[in-house]
Amino acid sequence: MLFKSVFLKTLRDYRIAILGWGLGLGLLMYVVVDAISSVTSTAAARASLVSLAGSFSWLAEPIRVDTPGGYATWKYGFTILVLALWPILAGSRMLRGEEVRGSMDALLSLPRGRGRVALEKLAAMWTALLIMAVLIGLLTYLGGAHVNADYTFGDGLLFGLNLALVCGVFGSLALFISQFTQENRSAAGITGGLLALFIVVDMIHRIVPNTDWISRLSPVYYYNLSKPLIPSYGTDPVAMLVMLVLSVVLSGAAIWLFVRRDIGATVALPRWLSLPKRAARPEDALPARAWSLQSIYTRSLAKMAVPTFWWTVVIAGYAALAVFITVQTEKQLKSLFEGSPLFANLIGNLGGSDAGFNASLLGFFWVMFAALLMAFAVTQASRWAADEEDGLQELVLATPQPRLKVILMRFAALTTATVIIGVATLALSALAVALSGLALDWGNLAAASLSIIPMGLLIAALGYLFSGWLHTAIDTGLLAFLLVIWFVISFIGPELKIPDGVLRLSAFYYYGTPLSTGLPLGDMLLVLAVAAVALVLASVRFMRKDIAN
Amino acid sequence: MTTLVETQGLTKRYGSNRGIEDVTFTIDEGEVFGFLGPNGAGKTTTIRTIMGLLRPTAGSAHIGGLDCWEQSTDVKRLVGYLPGELSLDPNLTGGQILEYYGNLRGGVDQTYLKQLITRLGLDPTRKFRQYSSGNKRKIGIVQAFMHRPRLLILDEPTNGLDPLNQQEFDRMVKEVREDGRTVFLSSHILTEVEQTCTRVAIIREGRLVRVGGVAELKGLKRHEVTITFANAVPVEAFKSLEGVEQADALPDGHTLRLAVSGGLDGIIKAAAQYQVATLTSQEPSLEEIFLRYYEGDGVAATETDHVV
Repeated sequence: MLFKSVFLKTLRDYRIAILGWGLGLGLLMYVVVDAISSVTSTAAARASLVSLAGSFSWLAEPIRVDTPGGYATWKYGFTILVLALWPILAGSRMLRGEEVRGSMDALLSLPRGRGRVALEKLAAMWTALLIMAVLIGLLTYLGGAHVNADYTFGDGLLFGLNLALVCGVFGSLALFISQFTQENRSAAGITGGLLALFIVVDMIHRIVPNTDWISRLSPVYYYNLSKPLIPSYGTDPVAMLVMLVLSVVLSGAAIWLFVRRDIGATVALPRWLSLPKRAARPEDALPARAWSLQSIYTRSLAKMAVPTFWWTVVIAGYAALAVFITVQTEKQLKSLFEGSPLFANLIGNLGGSDAGFNASLLGFFWVMFAALLMAFAVTQASRWAADEEDGLQELVLATPQPRLKVILMRFAALTTATVIIGVATLALSALAVALSGLALDWGNLAAASLSIIPMGLLIAALGYLFSGWLHTAIDTGLLAFLLVIWFVISFIGPELKIPDGVLRLSAFYYYGTPLSTGLPLGDMLLVLAVAAVALVLASVRFMRKDIAN
Repeated sequence: MTTLVETQGLTKRYGSNRGIEDVTFTIDEGEVFGFLGPNGAGKTTTIRTIMGLLRPTAGSAHIGGLDCWEQSTDVKRLVGYLPGELSLDPNLTGGQILEYYGNLRGGVDQTYLKQLITRLGLDPTRKFRQYSSGNKRKIGIVQAFMHRPRLLILDEPTNGLDPLNQQEFDRMVKEVREDGRTVFLSSHILTEVEQTCTRVAIIREGRLVRVGGVAELKGLKRHEVTITFANAVPVEAFKSLEGVEQADALPDGHTLRLAVSGGLDGIIKAAAQYQVATLTSQEPSLEEIFLRYYEGDGVAATETDHVV
């Protein structure tokens, strides 16, 4: 039945994303709303929360943050925009991805017009977004109902709809941009960059007075005009209509261009917007003499260079930002910390509670950075598995390069990338500490920053090991599951009085609280030893296995 | 002549699925050896097992006396390989790809490399993802030839090449053979194999059904003989002759169509007893021989004893 039309087939392709994003973010909202009572258990804690929210007004407008709807809107109204990543990927793949794969030719050989094919695919994306919105709205409502929140089921659905509309704008934008790019990944990257830019543009009017006119240029501004979970604030239908119109215009333009251009080609940009083309002469093409073409190690490093750069920017940048945030909000957070035992415990579980407040709070951030670095390692381990499945190892292994060398050089490149991220995190956070004057033990800061490296290597080695037997999708899913379950065990395990033996199953247990208590050398050596064993087993398996094609 | 490639009872199974079974053949140094079979017959599995990409379930393969699995790194010093499906980094240019694989082989003669590029009319400045399927194939061919390997293993090398480039490829293979080097290629294009190869193996459902010289295979004279007589003749008089596999009388009653294996001496002598108007004998092409091995289940089984 799901193969009856382009619409249904595309919707079928989105089924896992619908459930993953819809249920995942819905459950997040449920938990956030449900947690309001724990952070406002005393009058002092409530006052601290309001004060803290005021300090972050540049990030999100603080309106009735001591109510479930206000708290959820302030805390996650911004974060939940992460959902926009899905339509960005879907929009960029929708037509361009099919062209890159070559499947568009087959699709357009059917007796269906191009416009209809594109519209059916677009309709599937919107349907998927709306289903996600309903799931998120429903779970947000249920979370609110559990704590007697003052918003209704309809408000929950409007919250989801508002989110779907702003995400739809970015999906449509990705679809539009993909008409100008050779690859869907480029369109996704550009649109992702624009999402970040528009978030910043929206923030401007909250920081600089009388700059609403600038922020109005951002779709995120119109998203923030509606706060359905705060009944006294309500929903702005005009703002929602603006986002809808923007989506229709961008999608319409994209489809108009798609119908008129050659399949596989791009819409020509005006000359002033095009990159200058180098006149490449065939006789000059060889030898290329590029450093990255010298060996498997350098080639692997070059392939990781761009993601490594961006992950370094994110992790090291946030590390520096975390230091400044800690300095800026020290007083309010300390009051909240003291007024809310649950909050104190949650921070303490990951950040440590044996040292000063700064170290505890920053320790919490640093565990997040370890998790982020591990997420980076998961993507790279996944790439290793995918390369084999895509046949990219076939010719490499047809050269006189031993299999052991192939896997170890690739892992060495990944190790280099994780070391770069760890060292950059240390360098930027140390700079931030020096500039802000925050009282922090330098040795502990070095231990906390550099200890994230073995954590990344551990999950990467496990990924390499699993890829010896598992397909890429299962390998990646298993690693992501491990990462999440480890985090959950360490984050809430102590609260749930989980036995110590279970806590020890989490890798974060061995990361410890280095910012508070210094380097857990034995534990780190254990993590490295497990990673080494996993890598040895992965190498043995790789040397003996059939290479997929 | 020395044996360069030798497989002995080579078997590869994928669980309960068939791969290849008991594949045994040799290739001498300096030969151009063709490997024929339809999709799924086991050509690529055989080639990937010889390349050390798949581990044999049973049996062995040797190149230059080296075990293809245990000593695969040394084996690959001798080999240039073109896979059936070429997957390369889409963001590298053709030139960068060739340089990378050249470096992994310890460097190649740049002058020879540029000659190959020119001969195939390849533009090495374009990114791999921008190439047409034919140009992608050319990149694969150049990387297989560029280090002047002792043995070329080419899986359907001319797939996607236009006729002019196919001719150029044939010339390149001929030069390799004249140079005393060896080529092992699989192909669906039987006329190409007929023109290029000195010996041919036919694989069917994972088993070799025939290995022999091209001339030898074509010499399995299953001639199609058509004789038109001045008057009607009894078809039974021909059915019992030695070598006659099939004899049919056409509706005009004067013409007989005979399928004959072996020599035609007996047929001609028998026909001479009647008044013959015309006689035509058609020698089978390699294609017809190939198709015979895939026509019915019984044929291969009856002819496996011909494997040499």
